[in-house]
Amino acid sequence: MWLLLLALGAAAYAAWRVFAGFERRPEGVGVLARREIGFLDAAADALFPPGGAIPFSGRDAEIPRYVDAYVRVQPTRTRTLMRLLFFLVEHATIVLPAPGRGGRRRFSALAPAQRVCVLEDWRASRLFARRIVFTSLRAILTMGYFAHPGVLRALGLAPLSIPSPIGEADLLYPRVGRHPSTITLTRDDLTPPSDGTPLDPRGPLDPRYAPKTAR
Amino acid sequence: MKRAGFAGEVRVFAEYEGDFREEADVAVVGSGPGGAVVAKELAEAGKRVVLLEEGPPITPPDFELEGSRSMARTLREGGLRTTFGTVMPTMQAICLGGGSVVNSAICVRPPAFVFDAWSERYELSDTTRASLDPHYEAVEKFLGIGPTPENVLGRRNLLFKQGCDALGYTSEPMPRNVRGCRGSGECFTGCRSRAKQSMDVSFVPAAIRAGALVLTSAQVQEVRVDGRRAVGLVGRVVEPFTLRPGHAFEVRAKEIVLAAGCMATPVLLQRSGNLANRSGQVGENLQFHPGVAISGVFPEPTDPQFGATQGYQSLHFLEQGFKLETLWAPPGVLAVRTPGFGLELKQRLAELPYSATWDAIASCHHSLGRVRARRRGLDPALTWHLDERDVPILQRALWTLAEIFFAAGARKIVPGIHGIPEELHSPGEAEVIRSKPLRGSHLVIGGNHAFCTTRMHGDPRRGVVDELGRCHDLENLWIADTGVFPRCSSVNPMLTCMALAHRTAGAIAPRV
Repeated sequence: MWLLLLALGAAAYAAWRVFAGFERRPEGVGVLARREIGFLDAAADALFPPGGAIPFSGRDAEIPRYVDAYVRVQPTRTRTLMRLLFFLVEHATIVLPAPGRGGRRRFSALAPAQRVCVLEDWRASRLFARRIVFTSLRAILTMGYFAHPGVLRALGLAPLSIPSPIGEADLLYPRVGRHPSTITLTRDDLTPPSDGTPLDPRGPLDPRYAPKTAR
Repeated sequence: MKRAGFAGEVRVFAEYEGDFREEADVAVVGSGPGGAVVAKELAEAGKRVVLLEEGPPITPPDFELEGSRSMARTLREGGLRTTFGTVMPTMQAICLGGGSVVNSAICVRPPAFVFDAWSERYELSDTTRASLDPHYEAVEKFLGIGPTPENVLGRRNLLFKQGCDALGYTSEPMPRNVRGCRGSGECFTGCRSRAKQSMDVSFVPAAIRAGALVLTSAQVQEVRVDGRRAVGLVGRVVEPFTLRPGHAFEVRAKEIVLAAGCMATPVLLQRSGNLANRSGQVGENLQFHPGVAISGVFPEPTDPQFGATQGYQSLHFLEQGFKLETLWAPPGVLAVRTPGFGLELKQRLAELPYSATWDAIASCHHSLGRVRARRRGLDPALTWHLDERDVPILQRALWTLAEIFFAAGARKIVPGIHGIPEELHSPGEAEVIRSKPLRGSHLVIGGNHAFCTTRMHGDPRRGVVDELGRCHDLENLWIADTGVFPRCSSVNPMLTCMALAHRTAGAIAPRV
């Protein structure tokens, strides 16, 4: 009887720890659960807090939304591994607690300074496998940070506008998923190939990265 | 659907309306640097050629400029393929043109000593540098391969030259298959200037002009055989990016060429009843050029986004086992290496416009792995181990890069080695890279290039194909990708892959 009660209690705690107390999932997030969004939000905040040399935080850069879109385009196996990675770091605090009070709470429930300590512990671990976990997580978050056009603009590294010459290949291949009948170009539309004029690094940005102007 | 002005035809996913069957003189699987060359050469020789490619054609309007999204669309397993054993990322492309669409166009002939080793160790008396030179010349001429022009090198490439010059190390502008480079630094996400002569804009259109049929989004799942002859290929049409299977197809041909890449070709053979494997070497001997990199920060801006992606190289240490290169990639991919947390990390990232990243690729002959088909699907299970005997090569390469950075005027470097300070500010501080006993697990390495999983060998008991690329076990099955390399090429393999494919095409032509 006591064993059963103990097991039920443990199951209830596990369910509470994994599922309860997260904010609602933001709109437009399609794959990740709100607990995963909560974890990513906390990790993004630890890695890229507000202030400092780049005027965008991880939250400003909408990293969880990026990760959701990134996970969505992955093959099933990779997708599962990525979600396991998030789960692992979120809950490993049970056996690898953060310093200070309440250090065994899940990662997203820790204080900001404790989160940094937890991540630093993964990064500097003597175990290669733990370092790989951290490297994988940081890679995903960092790519998400830099996927935000504002971050690239702030660093002067946003892609430039580059017109593509129209070549023979453009008469052969339609855009991905489209029928060849959508190719309206003819040989008369061919343009001279690139003449090798160096780009101006201060030139206009690609429209996808240009700042949005008010109408 | 035929396009005006082309003798041949290219089919894309939206055109397939049911199961279908084709017949040809030659069927080629894979449109990367191996398959595209074979297809073009044989189509121009008047053969009926069908070229099959699992991925779609991707044109500039479909290029993703953001690194991870681009990788997810153009690379297998969403760009997150890794080896087990020693965990290391490795990338193989899935699109018309294969890796040439998303690589940095490096085309280097290996020096004679590489082929001397191939000849001696693998009984390949006709695979010398001199015997391959005519094939190199043919490919180089068609693609316009030449050194990177000075006006598109940019500062981060020129700083590398400056550092090498100061130390007396030889270096040179990178030879590349590029015409009219504008220095956009976007080789890895697709060249919007259409300057890079990737296979989809060079060899494949030439093959179509000469009458080839190109089937894109066509995933070959099995090679059919009859006795000692391969008779055809069967597979499914797959949706771009999701690879959701659709209509079935069969292609029958007199000669069949597998050029699906060093990972996919052995899996295809294994999935076809362990074909061509009397030697037991299919999927074995997997080698990479493991790569390491260091970033350096300079006092003045480097404008790193401008300049040829990999515009300069040094072959000075090739015989010692490593080649040095400059490197640029989408900032989000490069920034993954930046250490630290929080505001400190942001401060370091803000230094990207003042930085340069240089890398080394190493010939790690002791470090081997294998490719195995998984129970389901065509993605391989990869195992590879970095042998501790190869670690000193990587360590020496890292130290040399550090030396070059400081000789070029860097104010600090970020070595990215576990157990070594995150930043080093002088050659004296960097000495730790040379002196500290390092293990493989201290290094962050990338699996550049991949070789040897269907290696050529003069002895049929010890290799899968002969010198011309024909399988020892089957009369008419050929392999034309980097899997046939008997060991790594010490330099970037694309040009050698194309030269060997050119030779293979020449051997097939008289047979049909």
